[in-house]
Order: sequence, then structure tokens, then C-alpha cells
Amino acid sequence: MNCEVCQLKELEVEHFEIREVLRCILHTIVFHRALGLVRPKDIDSELFEITYVQCGDAELEKKIEEKIDQFIGWVEKHPNKKSQICLSFYEVKNKQATWFSNKTERLYWEQWYINLNVAQQPKAHFAKSHHSKVVVDPGECALVERSVRRAALEAALREVLFQIIKFVNEKRDHIPPVPNVEGVSFPYEITIPSSSDSSFGMDVIKRMLQTGHPTMLS
Amino acid sequence: MALQGSSQSESGRHEQIISQFLLKSLHIILDSRIPSLSRHDLSGELTPVSRVRKSDKWFNLVLGERPASLEDLNFWHRNVMDPMIIDVILVHEGPSSSATDDLYTTSGVGVPVETVIERWVVQYEPSGTVPPQQVEAPASYKKMYQKAIVLLRSLYSIMRLLPAYRIFKQLSSLNQTYNFDLIYKVSSFGELLSRAEEKVMKQYSFAPVEAPSGRLSISLTYQPTLSGFNLAPSTPVPPNIITDYVGSPAADPLKVFPCTDKGIPATSFSFRRIHSPTSVPFQRPHSWSSGIHRVAPFKQNHPLCGSPPAHHTPPVPCHSSSPPDIYGYRIQGYRPPSHKKGISFDEHQLSPPFLPSPSPSPPTYFSSGNPFRTAQGTETAPVSIPLPNMGRNSRYTIPNSSDPNRHSLPPMSPRSTRLDLSSQESPSSGSRSFRKTDALRSGELSGFAQLYSGQKIFKDSKDDSGRFSGIVSSSGSPRVGFSRSSSRLSFQDDLDDCDFSYPFVVDDVDTSDSQTRTPEGKEASESTSQAFPSARKSQDAAVGVLVHMLRTAPPLRQDYSCYSSQTSKSEFEGEVGSGSGFCVPRKTTDALEELKSYREMKDLLLSQSGTRVIKKEEAKPTAFVG
Repeated sequence: MNCEVCQLKELEVEHFEIREVLRCILHTIVFHRALGLVRPKDIDSELFEITYVQCGDAELEKKIEEKIDQFIGWVEKHPNKKSQICLSFYEVKNKQATWFSNKTERLYWEQWYINLNVAQQPKAHFAKSHHSKVVVDPGECALVERSVRRAALEAALREVLFQIIKFVNEKRDHIPPVPNVEGVSFPYEITIPSSSDSSFGMDVIKRMLQTGHPTMLS
Repeated sequence: MALQGSSQSESGRHEQIISQFLLKSLHIILDSRIPSLSRHDLSGELTPVSRVRKSDKWFNLVLGERPASLEDLNFWHRNVMDPMIIDVILVHEGPSSSATDDLYTTSGVGVPVETVIERWVVQYEPSGTVPPQQVEAPASYKKMYQKAIVLLRSLYSIMRLLPAYRIFKQLSSLNQTYNFDLIYKVSSFGELLSRAEEKVMKQYSFAPVEAPSGRLSISLTYQPTLSGFNLAPSTPVPPNIITDYVGSPAADPLKVFPCTDKGIPATSFSFRRIHSPTSVPFQRPHSWSSGIHRVAPFKQNHPLCGSPPAHHTPPVPCHSSSPPDIYGYRIQGYRPPSHKKGISFDEHQLSPPFLPSPSPSPPTYFSSGNPFRTAQGTETAPVSIPLPNMGRNSRYTIPNSSDPNRHSLPPMSPRSTRLDLSSQESPSSGSRSFRKTDALRSGELSGFAQLYSGQKIFKDSKDDSGRFSGIVSSSGSPRVGFSRSSSRLSFQDDLDDCDFSYPFVVDDVDTSDSQTRTPEGKEASESTSQAFPSARKSQDAAVGVLVHMLRTAPPLRQDYSCYSSQTSKSEFEGEVGSGSGFCVPRKTTDALEELKSYREMKDLLLSQSGTRVIKKEEAKPTAFVG
């Protein structure tokens, strides 16, 4: 089975915008992949004039919030870095038990990469405005700049959501059969960069190994 | 044979999926665009997924109860091969109108314009190239069904990302009214869009779902931006005071109030927040969709003037500039809703031009009681003086039936009517009261006058304490004293019969003159209480109660208290010109006016009691002598 990969457009976000952006994107993706019986729940974004849809699954919501918290913690420790969150859907295959391993195998059939560029706080702007002779409130300049950036981010976020919808519609053949369940129908995994600096690359390799040929794992 | 059977069941299954797909997509679209049809699950008390109805579980997307209109559309759209074209239409003000103008005036300003902002085409496109025999595996419908699930999820998400969703959210807001509205139109063929519209609109198509012998597709043509439309919250028009109040419906239920062509301009449009429905009456049939259906024969041509009695608003002259066209659009776009939805529809879609009543019942109120009366025109009941004989409570809020006579004396109670008659029958006696020579006659007048004054005691006390005191001066002490005693006796008798709190809510045009005597009347009633026969109890009791109330009422002004302290002196002085002893001097003209009112009261009393009272009065002339 093919693993469809979707790289979403990179978003430039500020630290306080991370949570809301990730909520929008993660919930939208899961809503299109939780093909069990759901009652959609419309959520108005707190920061943007965007309404996204949740599955109404409390456990899902909790898990997503936890992952977002972990990611924010990571970002605080690794500022000025481009980061990526991976949302993967997989199937569980029971691997034939061997002498040394009795694991269940995860067969990823779809992966979404959310690319974020967390911008630093614009301290330099304050310094500039301090030295300028123009009688302008530096706070006001920052506010205007922030609102412009916010509008740009909102437009970009909307584009990302459209991108998700488009991808979801175009790639439908690789989806496994939907079990007769409620809510989230397929197991999923949210992967964030780990604490170590070089862990990101390792995570990618791990995923490659997992989605590769089963014989590679033996 | 088995294959044919399975293929038949397969095709049946497919058709069922296609049919449900069309219905579900329609439900999603309307639920996200038409406020009146959308479910407002804001309470949080959602039905658990496990208890969802079977019909709502299609495509694993629970949307809630389907509006009745959808069921009608489902019935209409039987042929799954026909495309389903759903137009989302924005009703907004034309470019020549201002934001504050009435949307539906006949002046031409603010003519509503309809613009298609979204056109959805949901259809099953049969594929002629795929022969029916080459049906895929029996599980094909399952695959198709699963892909349809994904497609509908996408549709649901994208409904919230398009520009029209913001308008829908605004209209769904209960706290604001707007000068625009969203309606829909479903058809199997799409009317050609104008060139201007085609130029600005964009296309979006979902990836179709492959199905045996065809495919399911959803495509969209939409306006990428709605900033060019004049969409704004409607400005609430301040209440307009109706200066030419024409009375109450109770006075003449069959009276038809004239309709002016233009009437009061936009006094009540976008009055949504002002819950006193001072709506333009002609709009009233449209403001409740349920009410419209009930009073259908009258909905267009019979203005409902006024508002429900409970609101006590003045009647509004009929406004003939109703927007039947717009109503037509409403009905066109709005299939028969449930009453529940209809109310919210009123609130959201009819808000600018129509004043939705805060209660859905007003049309019911009118129609259930007297539809003809409703058609003729009803008016708000002002606070009026009820007739005690008819039951206080039942008449308390009923409009003053004697409205045409409201300027005449006395107030509504039959007691007051009797007063009028009694006062009218002996006008000469009233004038003699000022002379203080004829104790009998003056006693008569005072006795009758007390009946009248007692009823208006609060009224006059509010208006002018000076006048009040003047009457005392003009009446003189002995006369007043006698009248007090008589009135007190009568009051006590009739205390159980009626409550005299409400008769004081009366017009003060001509009835204020005689009220000033009650303070003295009360005190003097003691001395002559024994002289009055029991036959006059019913008439004097009212006066007595009024006097009692006046006596126990707190003074409104210092002058009043000053006056009341002086009255005890004036009682036994017997001086007409004792006005100097009071706080405010009185003029003769004022006294004459009061005398006039006493006369009328007396006539009224006399007419009611007949000659019996007169005879008894003549039999005991000495009772009035001080």
C-alpha cells in the first residue's frame, strides 16, 4: 500500500500563534480522516477569522492539545528553528512473532507534514524606533506590523486548509476500509521534534524504516 | 441468475446512495448558509451519537434534524439523474439606497437586490461508456460510499472557509439586525447568471467520486469576495411618538382605520431590539410566518394596526407599503418551515423590514379571538379606566371602551356615569352652592360632587393643588362638610364592590375640577352620615372610598399639606372667600368650572338613581342644615 505524503505550505507564526494554527490544521486533517460516525463541531478560531471543524472526540482533542504543548515546549528550547510536525495514519499489522521480536507493525498509509517557522519577537523594531526622530509611538508601529502579519498568516492558513481539502479529495484510493466505529476510524500518530538537536533527522529515519519494506525491520 | 439478482440489488444500492448523497449535500449546504434552517446547537445538549436517528447516520456525518423543507425537496427531486442546483442568494440593498432608509419603502430607495453569491451543482453524471454489465465487485458500492464520505467531509469543511460563511454567521447572530439576508433556491436547472456575475465568480470543483455507471460530482461557482456589497448592521430607528392616536380597538372593534400610502416612514423597521412592536402595521402579517399562515386571507390587504395589547403601545396607522415582492422571495426561497424554524427565520431573514414579534403568539392572539377583528385592524390597548361593574380585573387592560367619550365626564365606572347624570339634572343647584344660602341644594351638589371628585381624587391632586384648594374655598364649609359625610357613608358601603385605585387613571381634561373637595368631604361626612338614606349607598359609597383614599394618600406637595391643615378651619367657617387662608388663591372661574363638573356628576347620579333620590332629598331638607 502506498504511503501518501503531503507537505503543507510553510507558515510563519509567532510564538503565541502556534497553538491556534496547529489546532486548525490538525483538527481539519483528522476530521477528513476520521471516517467513523461523527457529529462535526464548528470551532471559531480564537485568533483568526477562520472556522474549522472538529470531530467532537474528546480523547482526540486531548491528545492534540498534549502534543501542541509538547511542541511549544520544544520551540521554547529551540528558538529560531524551522520545525515540523508530522501527523501520520497507519494500519496495525500483526507481524509474525519471531524469536527476538513480537511487535506489531505499523503500516503508514498517509503522512502530513506541517511546516512552521516560528518567528522571534521583533525586538529590533523597538530599537529602531527608539533611535528614529520621528515622533511615533513604537508600540503603535509594532501593533500595526503585527496586524499586518496576522492578516498574512490568516490568509496563508486559509490556503493551507484549502490545500488539505484538495489533497484529501484527490487521494482517496489508498484509504483503508473504514471500520464500523464512531469517531476516529484509523489509528494516528503525531510526531514532534524531540529534545535532542539531532533528533529530527533520526525521527525521519525511523519513519522511513517503519514505512519501508517489512523485511528491513527484521 | 444470481448475478442478475446481485446486480439488481447493487444498482438499487447505488441509487439509494446517490439519492442520499444528494440529500446530504443539500442539507450540508443549507445548514451552512440559511440561518433559519441551520441547527443552533449552542446549548451543548446534543444528542449523543449513539442516539442519532438512522436517517442522519448516512455518510457517517450527523447533522441533526432535517428541516421540513428538505423533506419536501427530497420528494421533489426524485430523479437522481437530474442535477441539483442550489443557489445561495444574497438579498441586499441596492447601491442607491442609504443604510438608514427603509428597505421596502415605495419611494424606490433601498430596493432590495438579489445576487447569487454561490451556485452549487450536485449531480450524478451517468457514464454512457460503462456498460451496466461490467459492474465491479459487489463491494463496489462500499468503496463508492466511503469515498462519498470523504467528499462530504470536504464539502462540510469548505462551506466554512468560503466568504459566504461570514455572512451566514452574522445573520445567525441574535444580537444584531442587518440590512441583508440569505435565501436559497433549489432547482434542477440553473438560471443563467448575468455576465457581470460570471466575470467575478470563481469556480471550484471537488474531485468526483467514481461510481458504477457514472460519478458523483460537486462543483461550485462563487463570489470570491463580498466586500463590494453594502452589508452592514441595520440602524435601529428611534421610536416615533404617535401624535394622532386614534383610540382603541375596544371602542369600536369593527372600525377600520384608514391606511395612508406612506404612513409613518420606517418607524419600526429594524426594531428588533425594541420589543414594543411599534411595527408598521402592514408589515405585521409578514413578521410571523406562522401567523401569516393562520390569517392567510387577510395577510396582504388587511393591515394589522397596532400591537398586542400586552405591550401597550400606541396604535400605528396602517402602512400600505408592504413588500409583497420580498415576501414572495422569502417564500420562494424558503420552503414551508416548521414553526420553530419559522420564528428564527423571521428573526434572521426578515429582520430589517419586518419586526418580528418577540413572541410567536401575537397573530394567534388575534386570529384565535376574532379574525375579522384582526383583519379590520386592532389597536393597542392603552391603560384605561375599566368599568367596575364588569369586573375590575377583566377590564383593567382592556382599552377604554368609552374612548370617544373620554373627554366627557366622568370616568368609566358606572358610578361616575351616574354622577354625570345626577349633576346634569340640576345645573341650577350647582350654581346655588356657591351662594351658600340654600343648604339643601348645596348639600345635594356637594353630595353628588363628592362622588365625582372622589373618583378623580388622585388625578387632581397630582395636577394642581392650587385648584384643589380653590374648590374648597368656592364650595364653602358647610356644604363641603355635608358632602363629606355623605360621601363617606357611600364609600364604606361600596368598598367591597370595587377597588378605586384604577379609576384615577383618567384623562385630566375636564375632570380635575371636582376632585378637590374630597379632603373636606371626608371629614364632613361624619356629621351627616346618619342623614343619608341607605338608598344612596351605592352612589355615595364610591365617593366615600375616594375620599378615604385621598385622605390617606400622602401629600404630593407641601401646599397640599398646608391646604389640608387649613381645611379643618374652613369647614366650619362657612366662608366662600376663605381662599386667602390657603396656600394658593383660587379664582372664580376655576370654581365655576368645578361647579360645572359637579353639576354633571349630579345629573349622572340623578339619572341613574331616578326620582327616588330626589324625593328622599326633598323629604329631609333639614339633614343638610349645618
